[in-house]
Amino acid sequence: MQIDVRGEMCPYPAMKAKEALKKLSAGDRLELITDHAPALSTVPWEGAKLGFLSEIAGKAPGEWVITLEKANAPIDQKQILTAIAARAAELAPDEA
Amino acid sequence: MQAGATAVTASPRLPANTFTIAGALLFIVVAAVFTGQKDFELGAFWLIGIAFGVIVQRSRLCFAGAFRDLIMSGDGRLMRAIILGLAVTTLGFGMLMARFVPDPSFNVLPPGAHIQPVGFATIVGGVMFGIGMVLAGGCVSGTLWRMGEGYVNSWVAMVGILFGLWGASKSWNWWYDNDISKREATWLPTDLGLTASVLLTLGLLAVAYVAILWWEFRSPRLPEPKAKPAPPALTVREYLRNSWNVVFGGRGWTYTAGALALGVLSIVAYNLQSPLGVTGGLALWADNAARVANAGGLPLKGADLLAGCSSAAAGAEWLTIRTTTMTGVVLGAFTASVLSGEFKVRFSRNTARYPQLLIGGAAMGYASVLAVGCTIGAFFSSIPSLAVAGWIYAAGLAAGAFIGVQVIRRLP
Repeated sequence: MQIDVRGEMCPYPAMKAKEALKKLSAGDRLELITDHAPALSTVPWEGAKLGFLSEIAGKAPGEWVITLEKANAPIDQKQILTAIAARAAELAPDEA
Repeated sequence: MQAGATAVTASPRLPANTFTIAGALLFIVVAAVFTGQKDFELGAFWLIGIAFGVIVQRSRLCFAGAFRDLIMSGDGRLMRAIILGLAVTTLGFGMLMARFVPDPSFNVLPPGAHIQPVGFATIVGGVMFGIGMVLAGGCVSGTLWRMGEGYVNSWVAMVGILFGLWGASKSWNWWYDNDISKREATWLPTDLGLTASVLLTLGLLAVAYVAILWWEFRSPRLPEPKAKPAPPALTVREYLRNSWNVVFGGRGWTYTAGALALGVLSIVAYNLQSPLGVTGGLALWADNAARVANAGGLPLKGADLLAGCSSAAAGAEWLTIRTTTMTGVVLGAFTASVLSGEFKVRFSRNTARYPQLLIGGAAMGYASVLAVGCTIGAFFSSIPSLAVAGWIYAAGLAAGAFIGVQVIRRLP
């Protein structure tokens, strides 16, 4: 399943991701396209709360695809939150 | 996806266009010189507006988000940062007001301070503004800086805001006769004295800070990411590059840094003339445009006696300290987002969003006239002015944001 939330700002990327994840059929993955940098942490965070792991790929300048997939085993919330925050910081362009 | 949170490729950063940057900087300087020659304060408030825009863009200091995230996700980071900003501003304003009004018990209000009348309109305005800012995806200042960042959604919300302001000035006389003219602009120091009022305000802010922290820790929270250490600086050039990246690097500033900087900026602005405010300028332009189009824009009854963000005192001027501040916010945010490679024209693919933005904007515009200000003028500048209205308005905003969250949860 794919959703395109480009142009949308907080809270919609995370809200739409949550709605879509709840409707997602077993075994399917969600691909979310966004151009809102804060979504790089808010969307994976919503996913983690529902037991989803995430992967982020750059699509175009200032655009990303976040892929969310159900984890096979229960995930360690604390560890995953730290990883999400670190990754979001990493993905922001380092130099102006 | 074994690692749980992986990044496949880093997104290429947006190219910072040299011509755009040079053009924006040149315009900022020329406009400052031009307005400054007309009147020193016009130029000064233009630069204050630019600084305002740079600060809120770099720190993503979203006042609507501060209220909304507390309710939606239990995230209080923004609101706690704003509370710290309010505390600093309160100290600064306290010192300035002590100079302006040495003895507050004579029932004299400090000139320029944002002390609004406390009444039914404050509560209605707060709740309505709270609903509007959640629907519009940002308060008035948030809409201004995201306009500068290239969010088309915010331009649409601004159209709503201008219509709301125009509608409010048409019904202003009813509100003035039935409520606002009968209420008092309540200033805490009149009864308590200045020192006790500052201490009371700081105490209330401290209580609010701890309460929000408690609320926040009830659900798992996203840890603050540690900033990556800068590469070692072995030359002056490298040192300057690292310093530049602290300000305009992609990661931006923390909320706290932004809120404290905004507080200091408000103190500077008040020392010159008046604390930060943005809606007064917008209201003035909405009224002037209505006058040009022969669609109203009557002088607002009694509004020249009101402190804060009111359009009336300026008459039919287009250039005032409020309008230069407000346009400065947009251009400051534009420049900062281009310098940091974050500027991008973005528009929502979901067409159902546009009517929502217009309605939310209109509600905010209308409400900001009733309450004589927005989250900046009637909240961030009002609580440090030691006005009772700021607290009532904040409670209204929280209630409105709660209703707004219930509404957007049911929207497509």
